[in-house]
Amino acid sequence: MTELATSVTATGVRAGAGYWLDSYRALTRWHLAGLRMWLMLLTVVQVLAGAGFVLGIALFFDHIPATAALYVCTGVPVVNLMIVGLILGPQLVAEQKLQQSYEFVRSLPVPRTAAAAAWYTVCLLAGLPAVTVSLLIAEARYGISFSLSPAIVPAVALTAFTGTMMGYALSHAVPNPMVTQLVTQLLVFVVFGFSAILFPAGQLPAWLASLNWWFPFEHMAVIVRAGLTAGLATGIASSYLIVAGWGIAGAAASAWALGRRG
Amino acid sequence: MAVSMAAAPVGQSVTDWSFRAEGLTKVYGGTLRANDAITLSVRSGEVYGLLGPNGAGKTTLVKQAIGLLKPTAGRIMLGPYDLVADPGAARQLCSYLPQAPMPIDSFRVREAIELTGRIRGGDRASVRRRAGELIEALDLGDWEHTMGQRLSGGIKRLVGFAMVTVWPGRVVILDEPTNDVDPLRRRLLWDRIRLLGQRGCSVLLVTHNVMEAEKSVDRLAIISSGRLIAEGTPSSLKAADRGNLRLQVMLLPETATPALPPWIRQPVRVGHNLITVIDEADATRGIGWAADLVGRGVAEEYALGATTLEDVYVRLTGHISSGGNHDD
Repeated sequence: MTELATSVTATGVRAGAGYWLDSYRALTRWHLAGLRMWLMLLTVVQVLAGAGFVLGIALFFDHIPATAALYVCTGVPVVNLMIVGLILGPQLVAEQKLQQSYEFVRSLPVPRTAAAAAWYTVCLLAGLPAVTVSLLIAEARYGISFSLSPAIVPAVALTAFTGTMMGYALSHAVPNPMVTQLVTQLLVFVVFGFSAILFPAGQLPAWLASLNWWFPFEHMAVIVRAGLTAGLATGIASSYLIVAGWGIAGAAASAWALGRRG
Repeated sequence: MAVSMAAAPVGQSVTDWSFRAEGLTKVYGGTLRANDAITLSVRSGEVYGLLGPNGAGKTTLVKQAIGLLKPTAGRIMLGPYDLVADPGAARQLCSYLPQAPMPIDSFRVREAIELTGRIRGGDRASVRRRAGELIEALDLGDWEHTMGQRLSGGIKRLVGFAMVTVWPGRVVILDEPTNDVDPLRRRLLWDRIRLLGQRGCSVLLVTHNVMEAEKSVDRLAIISSGRLIAEGTPSSLKAADRGNLRLQVMLLPETATPALPPWIRQPVRVGHNLITVIDEADATRGIGWAADLVGRGVAEEYALGATTLEDVYVRLTGHISSGGNHDD
């Protein structure tokens, strides 16, 4: 066998941009392949969730006011992106922990930042079809003409990043997967029920509106709304800062959690 | 070769890739000493067994090597690299097959192997070629394009082995690699493990199957209750038992251990098995004693044979390995 004559072992420690990019590409492919059986189902569930919000909330009204409809329709993309990065992402990691395959994934020789970036890419790709379909359904149901601006690109990218990093930090920082699953269930309730994503913050009690301001979810809706409409969103700059701040904090917490050794 | 030679410590040309654990101690919760001042070394190309009963601390040891756990004290070196101080280097330089199932339900067999090779830094063409070699060598051709969720546990185990060795690190850590693998493919697997050593990898083999390890490792350590209690080649560990024979009696269920004559030594009772050591000179009366137990209905059968590594293991740990004649 010719291979016997050749040393095939890694002879040194890789470093640098090439190593990072190779790792990022390979791990993104790994995640996409690992999720292939679920991606279609995931997309369908998200589309249904988005459509449910878009169509369902109108049932609360005899005639839904145009502004209310616009808030719901421009908030739904945030719901879609949060479902993937903040809710399902941690649940997938929790599942890996329950099946004891988590340690193999953690032992793979990739930079932690490349691992996080690959996961972010996958979550973004998994969320975009539902975002698009939800907006199309909204347009059809309410006859809304969105004023798409280039700002929608950084808004969606940053919203997905922050949600994904928060979920990534949660999933890796909490050792017990059952706790992770419980926390994500709680997040569904808190984020989608009591955050000013689908309605203006002014409709919340004052204390809850003040509390909301410190969390990123309302601001995610603001920046996405600013990319879809003209004049509806206000305080856009501060919202970008707050969402970015949470994203950076989530990424830092993820780096800490991934690097932590028991 | 696609792997860069970067980052060897300045001024050193790395020629010695030996793996060394020095005073390795891992304490959980302030009291449970999973590893207690373990010192061992594994040379390049050596297949080194870590033997011990469940809970002995074997897996804890290797998880510290791969950077999943941090030692309470001590250090682990691989060539010039301090694996404790640099867990990123540890993950690159060590390939790890955990005992748990591999997460490949959504992957096709060849795809899982090639993707892992790419993640480990192999170039596309080399990884593809080596994946093909491993699929052929491990007789996995029938499943090459099968999804992981349709594989049996044994085939999944072999795929896992192929994944971690398609582009191996300097150290390949295999935690119970033969679990669930059928006897025929076990032989193929052991051939590949030996080949890894011939290629220059150090292989750290975690197992409680002493019988298999005896045939396959160059050296081994026996770990019990977190401590390294013996180390050496299989022959050197058996040296103390030269001139002895193993007399094993399978007692009837619910039977108390019979009184032992003084010339029967080192009795260990595990389940229904009574394992003892006698001098070669006592072979005849040993057979007579054991046959008498069978005749009186105390034992079902007995066996007299040369001492093996299993006997050393039983003597040192008080356990029968899963690869012994009888499970504990």
